[in-house]
Amino acid sequence: MKKFFALQVCAILVVSGLLGGMFVSTSVYDEVRSGIVLVLCLSCLKLEPKTLADFTFETVDDQPHPEFVLENLSHGPVFLHYSGDACAGCDVMYPVVKDLFSIDFGKQDMFHSIVSFENSSVSYIYVNIHHTIPELRNAQPIYDKDHVAGIPMFTIVTLGYDNGDVKPKYTTLYGTLATYGCDTDAQRLVFLQQLLRQSIDMYNENEAGYPHHS
Amino acid sequence: MKLQIKRLTSQIILFFSANLGYPGYPGLKTGFCYPFFYCQACPAATSACPLRSLEQSVDKGSFTWRLFLFPLLIIGFLGVLTGRAVCAWACPIGLLQRGTGRVARRVKKTSLARKLGAYKAEKYFRYTKYVLLISLVFVTSYLIGFIFTDICPVGFLTGTIPVLILNPGKFVPGFFFPVALVIFALFIVLIFLIERGWCRYFCPVGALLGPFNKISFLHIAVDTKECVHCNVCSYECPMGIDVPNMHRDPECILCGKCVTACPNELITFERKGQ
Repeated sequence: MKKFFALQVCAILVVSGLLGGMFVSTSVYDEVRSGIVLVLCLSCLKLEPKTLADFTFETVDDQPHPEFVLENLSHGPVFLHYSGDACAGCDVMYPVVKDLFSIDFGKQDMFHSIVSFENSSVSYIYVNIHHTIPELRNAQPIYDKDHVAGIPMFTIVTLGYDNGDVKPKYTTLYGTLATYGCDTDAQRLVFLQQLLRQSIDMYNENEAGYPHHS
Repeated sequence: MKLQIKRLTSQIILFFSANLGYPGYPGLKTGFCYPFFYCQACPAATSACPLRSLEQSVDKGSFTWRLFLFPLLIIGFLGVLTGRAVCAWACPIGLLQRGTGRVARRVKKTSLARKLGAYKAEKYFRYTKYVLLISLVFVTSYLIGFIFTDICPVGFLTGTIPVLILNPGKFVPGFFFPVALVIFALFIVLIFLIERGWCRYFCPVGALLGPFNKISFLHIAVDTKECVHCNVCSYECPMGIDVPNMHRDPECILCGKCVTACPNELITFERKGQ
């Protein structure tokens, strides 16, 4: 009886000690909050948002574009690829994007490269929200124009002309692009290629007026 | 207050507590894992599903110990204190099954149900939840990246359906939608046919909590010396346990129905000891 009670006390001390220790010495609380609760895996939701792939100047809540996007915009359109672990939709889109730019990187890497797409430069930034820095993770809600808060998510930032000013203009896509009628990898690739061409054309038209242009 | 009213009150309060995350009302999004089965995809969810954290911790051959230990410790903490009482006193899916239990009780009286219930294989079928936990939460996540939450009926009920209702016309079915819909339909049939059918046979969170019954402070004790084996307690038990012969059974959810039902008051909640 006493031995069993001692066992119970030991068990609760070990469990509560470990739990308290994790709170104090690790970032697990923030990892769960930012990586699971605030950003959903669209495959787990079993739904894909119906969105338009049109470009807009308005960021969510009129937040300013992140500095790393503005800097990279000097090289060409910026392609932001938000992905994550344990996400079937991310796994579907990961090889498609690698094919799009003919690049290779690990799914849990932080990857950034100026890539060539049909002889034009594109800044490609891969963000696995479960293995990244807050600066990159925090940029996701800025471009979440349809308030989906889900991954996979793709944002293409280019330049547009607005009442006498050249400004960053962007579009955001979600999921496996099923909402645009893409059911195969080939269709997804063609759709992304078309959108990139459109963004490059817009960039080339407005590049000269971009204040950050070096 | 009667025990079952207390339990209902607890279930309702905790259901609302689990849903304080709706944007702006009050929009409480925490970094905790629920100690029961509820989906973070619910627009009002405050916390993460423990299974999601576990799946993510072993995604495709990787191992993130923090995400692995965190939900296990939260569940373990409550498990050591109260065993599987979370299933009966806190889990919103338990509350749902409490509602469908009346229908299931009627079904239980049919001759076919009695015949099926008499099969000895039934108790082995309860191990399905452990198989599901190991295979779909850990093994397939680790080996091929296929995760339980992609086809989870609870996620469909608490995540997919509310999102569709709150955003009409804004979403289209994803890749896993048809499979999840079929599994959800089977889940609904199950909980209407068998009282606490999900908890008994399939709930992976119940599989995590169950073993803690063996060492938990809170447990149900039967005075076997005085027991006259009238079996009223076993008949009332929503988990279909042979109550007089149970001793810290991992299936017991500490709902207290046997405590209330025993005509001789020989069944009690105990806070410590064996």
